[in-house]
Amino acid sequence: GYLPANMDRRESTLKRKRKEYFAFVEQYYDSRNDENHQDTYRQIHIDIPRMSPEVLRLQPKVTEIFERILFIWAIRHPASGYVQGINDLVTPFFVVFVCEYIEEEEVENFDVSSLPEEVLQNIEADSYWCMSKLLDGIQDNYTFAQPGIQKKVKMLEELVSRIDEQVHRHLDQHEVKYLQFAFRWMNNLLMREVPLRCTIRLWDTYQSEPEGFSHFHLYVCAAFLVRWRKEILEEKDFQELLIFLQNLPTVHWGNEEISVLLAEAYRLKFAFADAPNHYKK
Amino acid sequence: ISRNTMPGTSLEGIHPTYIYKVVLLGSTSVGKSSLAYRYVKNDFKESLPTVGCSFFTQTLNLEAATIKFEIWDTAGQEKYHSVCHLYYRGAHAALLVYDITNKETLNRAKLWLRDLEKEFLPDEIVIGLVGNKTDLAAEREVATEEGKEFARTKGLLFMETSAKSNHQVNDIFMAIAQELLQREREKTSIPSPHGWSTVNLGESGVRTRCC
Repeated sequence: GYLPANMDRRESTLKRKRKEYFAFVEQYYDSRNDENHQDTYRQIHIDIPRMSPEVLRLQPKVTEIFERILFIWAIRHPASGYVQGINDLVTPFFVVFVCEYIEEEEVENFDVSSLPEEVLQNIEADSYWCMSKLLDGIQDNYTFAQPGIQKKVKMLEELVSRIDEQVHRHLDQHEVKYLQFAFRWMNNLLMREVPLRCTIRLWDTYQSEPEGFSHFHLYVCAAFLVRWRKEILEEKDFQELLIFLQNLPTVHWGNEEISVLLAEAYRLKFAFADAPNHYKK
Repeated sequence: ISRNTMPGTSLEGIHPTYIYKVVLLGSTSVGKSSLAYRYVKNDFKESLPTVGCSFFTQTLNLEAATIKFEIWDTAGQEKYHSVCHLYYRGAHAALLVYDITNKETLNRAKLWLRDLEKEFLPDEIVIGLVGNKTDLAAEREVATEEGKEFARTKGLLFMETSAKSNHQVNDIFMAIAQELLQREREKTSIPSPHGWSTVNLGESGVRTRCC
């Protein structure tokens, strides 16, 4: 995360960062209806009620917090601003921080507003900084024309062509383009492809990996695609293939599936670590 | 369009199958995904903002032909505009969707039209203008006449719909299908050098994709 490695400095850093965040809120949040910011705010305001999971979006307290986090981030990062999909990225952090105060089973029907105001403020600030840290590593995903995503989808394609030529050729033969399914994998870091509990497990590893959300994520995506090789090779039709790839059956996935996926991703990473040019043609 | 023809059920290709790519374009939150979902699943649910593009299919068995629609539902936020052309390339039809309770979304639909006009010749693509959310009549900002008149001057199909209350959703897709078939007929009625008036089955099943 964004905390210093030295344990002694953590508490003070945390305090300082929380203060800093609320200073931003004070400084910027009132400008959300100004002419030059109202489009950003309006877009965020439209998207928040459309987020998942339902339990969160139905709570006014939560939508208020998310709107603030996203607006402040967008204002402070004018190169990209707010892009749909970024709103998803707050959720895993928020849920993890909330879970510190409740039993895990409760998260399905938990009333966030029952937490003390001070706790909620800390959760908000901590979620903001975690999300900021994450986005720092992948900001070119969200700048004009989303070059980061275009580049990563290309890299994924090349990587897959190396590790499983049969799958790669099958997709190519049926004219399925990687951009048609993997754009979302990059834009939302697989959040839309697996259940929230799996995203949290996955990101936990990303955070402990250097360049986890940018570089290691590629190996995870490659492992994720190849994980479905049997199903992919059975589909002999463009339409069926694309529908399958956009709606992968992961509803019942849990830690075990993610562990297997990560193990495979590590294997790929090390296989290519000594030859980084392997996935470039 | 004939390259999207697949073998018909009879030797003469009397009942051909056509694959048509339809792309949904329009501002954020006007109901593009909901229209696609209503049309394909006949249901309504709040959907997450679309990222990149979602893909749906629907098959229509008509008397004259079978039509397989490939529906490309795009993300509405302007930030995604730069990747959107990747999705509408090669489309046979486009639905420009606006929200009748939000005037600005009609203006955006007009901009989309300008984009399409740059990319396609008029006879290359069927375009429909769709005013969605008629269930919110009390909040209406765009008069029916206004959409209709704009569509008329630009030669677009026009319909007002509600994905939520299932108003005219099938109808607009049906209108698109009929128009595409009509164009197919006009094309094939021009006699070829051999005097054939059916589509060229020799090219059946061949498809080109650009995105």
